[in-house]
Amino acid sequence: MEINKKECDRILTTDLLIVGSEGAGGHAAIEASKSGIDILIVTKGKIGQCGASQMAGVDFNVDGRSAKDLGFEGDERDSPELFFETLVRESIYLGNQMMVEKYVEYAPKAMKDLLDWGMRIYSYESAHTEEMARGIITAGTLWVAAIRKKVKELDIPLLEDCMVVDLLISNERIAGVIAVDLKSGETLLIRCKAIILATGGWHGAYSFNTGPYDLTGDGVAMAYHAGLEVTSMEMVQFCPMTLVWPPKDKGSIILYIICEVDPFGQVMHLLNKHGERFMENYDPNNLEQSTKEIVSIASQIEIEEGRGGPHGGIYFSLKHARKRFIDMIIKVANHRIQNEYKDTRYELTKLLPELLEQLKTDDIEVGNAAHYMSGGIKVNERTETAIKGIYAAGECSGGLWGAVRVASACTEASVQGKIAGEIAPEYVKNVNLAEVDQTQVDEILERINKPFNRSIGIIPSELLSRIYNISDKKLGLIKDGESLKEAIDDLDDMISTDLEKLYVPYTKSKILNSDWIRCIELRNILTCLQLSAHSSLLRQESRGEFYRKDHTHTNNDIWLKTINIKKVDGKPEIRYETPEITTISLPKGKLTYQEAIGVATASLKRER
Amino acid sequence: MDEQKSIKLKCFRFDPNVDKEPYYKTYEIPLNGAMSVQDCLLFIRDNLDSSLSFFVNCRLGFCRRCLVKVNGKSCLACLTEVNEDFTVDPILKDKVIKDLWSEGF
Repeated sequence: MEINKKECDRILTTDLLIVGSEGAGGHAAIEASKSGIDILIVTKGKIGQCGASQMAGVDFNVDGRSAKDLGFEGDERDSPELFFETLVRESIYLGNQMMVEKYVEYAPKAMKDLLDWGMRIYSYESAHTEEMARGIITAGTLWVAAIRKKVKELDIPLLEDCMVVDLLISNERIAGVIAVDLKSGETLLIRCKAIILATGGWHGAYSFNTGPYDLTGDGVAMAYHAGLEVTSMEMVQFCPMTLVWPPKDKGSIILYIICEVDPFGQVMHLLNKHGERFMENYDPNNLEQSTKEIVSIASQIEIEEGRGGPHGGIYFSLKHARKRFIDMIIKVANHRIQNEYKDTRYELTKLLPELLEQLKTDDIEVGNAAHYMSGGIKVNERTETAIKGIYAAGECSGGLWGAVRVASACTEASVQGKIAGEIAPEYVKNVNLAEVDQTQVDEILERINKPFNRSIGIIPSELLSRIYNISDKKLGLIKDGESLKEAIDDLDDMISTDLEKLYVPYTKSKILNSDWIRCIELRNILTCLQLSAHSSLLRQESRGEFYRKDHTHTNNDIWLKTINIKKVDGKPEIRYETPEITTISLPKGKLTYQEAIGVATASLKRER
Repeated sequence: MDEQKSIKLKCFRFDPNVDKEPYYKTYEIPLNGAMSVQDCLLFIRDNLDSSLSFFVNCRLGFCRRCLVKVNGKSCLACLTEVNEDFTVDPILKDKVIKDLWSEGF
């Protein structure tokens, strides 16, 4: 095989290319198909079986009044305005209010789509312990199944098991992409008039995460390298109470999910290795019912100060509860899961009952796993980026959530997917295909093929474990300036030196070559981590999901601004930006981290 | 500390572009806590032989793409716990793209 050839194996052309097939990408494709333009979905896995959507819990959010209009029980006390206000306040005022308005406005529309496409609903209830009932509960697997069915019904062309590796830009417009067919190893040039990036998060940058293997920040990294701005990359949400052990179930958030269900969440205790209920030292009034952020940070402090368990977690305990109580929970849960929901997911039908049985006699070690990336490609409320014809939707985009992802990411994906699917075709209708710049194609092909031309160097798994060493220790939940500076130096070094030494051992065949694909993914992972490290060092405060032990205050006077980064002459260039405001003015003053969270979450129920 | 025990994984290997016919390769896997077939395959890929091709994504039974045969029985690699020596084969041996990955899956 001629490794260096600078031609793609296949060339395809479409009007609108959608990268990602699930909650955001699939929704965008179905919406865009109404316009009659040519659409092509390229997805890294198989539709309905990839990305994070399938793994979602899942709750969608709609304000109580709109929920009533959709035929749910709803909540008359609620309104879109109230929902908007909650979102802005709870995300600690850093969210783009234009985007939050669109989220609230489009949430019922996107939900109606999903209902029309046959998504089965489990129940309607209050989620996230909100005062108002705004949660429509279903399963991620049912969500993606509904999207898949509709995409197939509409016969929307689909390239599966195919990874987009870079964007082609001509005269400040999208001209197409280079992609790799993972099964055959073929390279593809896909020309397009517009593109919607719906590639999800970059969970793969952390050894302990709750996402699937395919989320490696591809969209965010491609956008950054193409000259687009990224925003709020320091905002990484870690999920507490995630299983750290055993390997088989590591990363499952089932105990976290069950804690959202009454009365389980009110009974469980979190203990350190000495058996102490450590929340007494952090939030004695609310204990484990404190906010998710404070529970996470308290747990992490216990772990980092040596009071954690052997696998890097703290203990989830029910040993103090009566066995009869646990039996009752098992009975109620089984009834709901099997009879009411008819759910077949492993986590609910098998793992949960096993864990509950185990909790009668043993504690279970849990920790904080990288869960959701609130930052990403900078977009406006129309999902537009700064380059014409490039749109971003769902987790790969940034700007909506401010400092805390306070409501449903599934709703975010649906809403932004729907908006992108409405807007992109308007643009497509007024433009021709842009000419592809062959130099860019040559450069990309040369770069991705390089690991085949080296016979010594660093193998991908080795570099990944070195990356984990940095992300876990220096870019975890609790950050500090010194570690962040070290992380930036280490990551810069990896990008400039180690990335150039990667090689594919064993075989030159590109067919299902996971080492080769990992070489491509590692550039994306390193890009996302580097951007996150830079933003984290700059933000000298703590706010919501973001916590610095050397700057523990939330400082509204200085830090009510987002950190945006763009690549200029190969280097990151920073731009600070005050969030877009529509109706809620920004607060002033310096608060302790706990005070700021307390103000933000004053409406949460904390019944004990 | 958890007790360390090793098991042997006899793994189907076949790269139609290189190999005339399929063969089996045996790997030794240190068992460290409850591990699935997929955890064992990941251990091979990350520590012993990264040329092994198999499907991995959600690790918790959502995507249902990691179907393989363990000791002749079809199962999802991510949900199948292993405690002793075992053999793993692709789900469709006559439709192998490479190693444990069959066409159509």
